[in-house]
Amino acid sequence: MSQPRKVVAVPGPGAKGSTAPHASPAVRGGAFVFVSGLTAVDPATGQAVRDTTARETQRILENLKLILEGAGSSLDSVVKVNVLLHSMLEAPNMNEVYAHFFPEPPPARTVCGARLPDGVKVMIECTALAS
Amino acid sequence: MREVIAAPLPGLDLRRHYGHFQSPAIRAGGLIFCSGMIPVDPYSGERRHGTLTSEAHVIFGNLKLLLEAAGSSLDRLVQVHALIYDSIEYDVLNRVYRQYVANGPPARTVWTAQIEAGFKVQLDAIAAA
Repeated sequence: MSQPRKVVAVPGPGAKGSTAPHASPAVRGGAFVFVSGLTAVDPATGQAVRDTTARETQRILENLKLILEGAGSSLDSVVKVNVLLHSMLEAPNMNEVYAHFFPEPPPARTVCGARLPDGVKVMIECTALAS
Repeated sequence: MREVIAAPLPGLDLRRHYGHFQSPAIRAGGLIFCSGMIPVDPYSGERRHGTLTSEAHVIFGNLKLLLEAAGSSLDRLVQVHALIYDSIEYDVLNRVYRQYVANGPPARTVWTAQIEAGFKVQLDAIAAA
């Protein structure tokens, strides 16, 4: 491959929390940065955060911002987001917080309800342009 | 560069109809990333609940419109995620699905998920631009 994949270093100890050791938080490949499904963690300690759907969403997107910026990308360069919720009844609570983080017009997105591990209410993965 | 694909018909603007904070599709890096497609009337945006088969027909019709508006087509699909409400409908999905991807189907993953508004199927697609 002319442009091999590159694992992106995580800026702080915490952002790694929700994916280590089984996945890298983000990997750059081709024109894109692929970000693992993130759950809410405290970026300072890496401790899991279990809170309302709105607050978990807030925490995840704050961490996503750090991860993308660490990869030389940003929330403005996100092309597609997949949001997994413990219940689709919570979609409006996620959507309201979500709208504060992304630019106009927003990225493409899919939201679905799924069984998530360890009492997690929200998981968010995304694909962004590398630069 | 990240380029927004606008809804080719008013009903396909899910943000306008349902407040979803998302664009219909984004073109970037030679690919088109579509938002999760649900069975809505492409003119009115009204939900078209039905059988999995009828819902899938509506979705593929809408996906075709969206991809063609983006300069792509169903023949240029690269990857599809098909979310269904119950795995018992897997064969039903396949019967309708193959009608739309007859010429070398794209990579695909199917799984069971809770879909908005009680829909039976949702398609998440990436196509070559």
